[in-house]
Amino acid sequence: MALLELQRVTKKFGGLMANHDISFSVEKGELLGLIGPNGAGKTTLFNCISGAYPVTSGRIFFDGEDITDLKAHEVARRGLARTFQVYVASGDLTVIENVMVGCFMHTRSRNRARSQARDILRDLNIEDLSEALVHELPVASQKRVTMATAIASQPRLLLLDEVAAGLSHGEIEEIMGSIRHLHEDLDMTVMLIEHVMELVMKLSHRVIVLDYGEKIADGDPETISKDTRVIKAYLGEKYVREHGAG
Amino acid sequence: MEALKSALDFSDFPRIDLLAAGSLAILFLIFPLFPHSSFAMATLIQFLMFSLYGMGWNTIGGYGGQVDLGKAQYVGIGAYTTAVMLIRWDIPFWFSMPVGVCFSVLWSFVLGYPLFRLKGHYFAIATIATSLVLKDLFEVWDFVGAARGLEISPIRFPPPDFLRLIFREDVYYYYVILGFFFVGIFYMNWFRKSRLGFQLRAIKDNEVMARSLGINVHWAKIKTYAIATAFVSMVGSFHTCYIRNIEPEDTMSLDISILIALMAMLGGAGSLWGPIIGAGILIPLKSYLKEWLGARAGIVGIDLILYAMIIMAISALEPRGIWGIVQRFRRRRR
Repeated sequence: MALLELQRVTKKFGGLMANHDISFSVEKGELLGLIGPNGAGKTTLFNCISGAYPVTSGRIFFDGEDITDLKAHEVARRGLARTFQVYVASGDLTVIENVMVGCFMHTRSRNRARSQARDILRDLNIEDLSEALVHELPVASQKRVTMATAIASQPRLLLLDEVAAGLSHGEIEEIMGSIRHLHEDLDMTVMLIEHVMELVMKLSHRVIVLDYGEKIADGDPETISKDTRVIKAYLGEKYVREHGAG
Repeated sequence: MEALKSALDFSDFPRIDLLAAGSLAILFLIFPLFPHSSFAMATLIQFLMFSLYGMGWNTIGGYGGQVDLGKAQYVGIGAYTTAVMLIRWDIPFWFSMPVGVCFSVLWSFVLGYPLFRLKGHYFAIATIATSLVLKDLFEVWDFVGAARGLEISPIRFPPPDFLRLIFREDVYYYYVILGFFFVGIFYMNWFRKSRLGFQLRAIKDNEVMARSLGINVHWAKIKTYAIATAFVSMVGSFHTCYIRNIEPEDTMSLDISILIALMAMLGGAGSLWGPIIGAGILIPLKSYLKEWLGARAGIVGIDLILYAMIIMAISALEPRGIWGIVQRFRRRRR
């Protein structure tokens, strides 16, 4: 059985069709990339899956259970965690406290939460940031903290929303290492939205492409990179006509 | 057991803080042994009461970031429950206080459910409105004495009476409320480190993210609102026995709601010591200003001008209050 299954998911904002009739499934142990030009509806789809937005129509199943109408916190408790593109926080939470909030999903004990959080930070090589305030950190570190916090809730499916955006080449390498570690060593199923093609193509087993809210391609990275519709979506009709596909 | 250990564990504070807090605690304990004016004693009792109000407010307002300006209605519910039960049925304080807490908490659930659908300023305004409506209702409700209020007659209930909490000398009230105060500090010390405490801080930080971590934001707020309410209601019950004469105006007015929130914000919302620092500054200031300026020169409302100035100063300089300034200073030195 698929871990996550979307059946004809549609999301409208008034007259705007953000996601149209999208169906696919994610198998246990997969590492799936979700790409598409700006405004293609990738983050909206994440929001629908994680329960932040109600869908207009269609059903979403997680591990066989219909989670379409569940609230965000109920979806999270079933083992689906996500990160956010922008970390907006003004607060006074330190890095370790932030990660502890994730740990508290499974324990009431502060000591256990603290020791788990410390392990996760060590695992992601950001132990030395423990006592820093999250909003004072550089973007690259903030992204890893949000990843750490999501992991702390011990998800079975992790949705990563542009964790590599705005990072330098070296930082991308590092974050790729972290994602690989989560997937391979911690057995997490991962689905990631990414604009950094290098990362998507190197990491993903399978890539789904959205354009104008519709799924236009679904396949392994090799095939996707040669798909005419995908190239058209990214580079425009004219480019394809002049250069030919692939 | 772990909860108790956590409540008694202050080890994450620097030694100088603990030294200061410890010496203050001892000072409070032995204060009545020294010669003092009854005015000073009354001010200290007010300080302890408002510290407790502030601690309660700090759970939802400070850690949770929900600016609640309607706490006075729960002072009223606590105060009136104790007064009515004593006068009508001769039920003593130690029994009526928990009953008052139950009423308050029930009422807080009724209100909290719709109130927490609102956010930010809308929430703050709605809390003011609910509190004022309740006050107006009490002013026309004959069962509770309407606008005349209720009086506990010392002839019918002769002091000293520990069960009914009726004493002639203030020093007894002082030690009772001091006991509450210490318990309050230990409770808050546990609360700030509890799962709920962490979840609230996450909610204050970013509600959407909090939800994605499995936190039922609406329920967490309602729960915390009930905790805040319980604190305030207890002290409201104490207020009845201490003042022995209550009316809607001096238990449920907007002034009290604002003062409670303001103290916690001035001292440092979302910190353990904040409400105590805030009460320690504002209550003596208020008492002495009234005594010196108000009574002598006939200038009324000088304390209100002062509050306004404090609100402006906090919002302009440091939203986390005096404790925020201390923390910032310490971070910089490190």
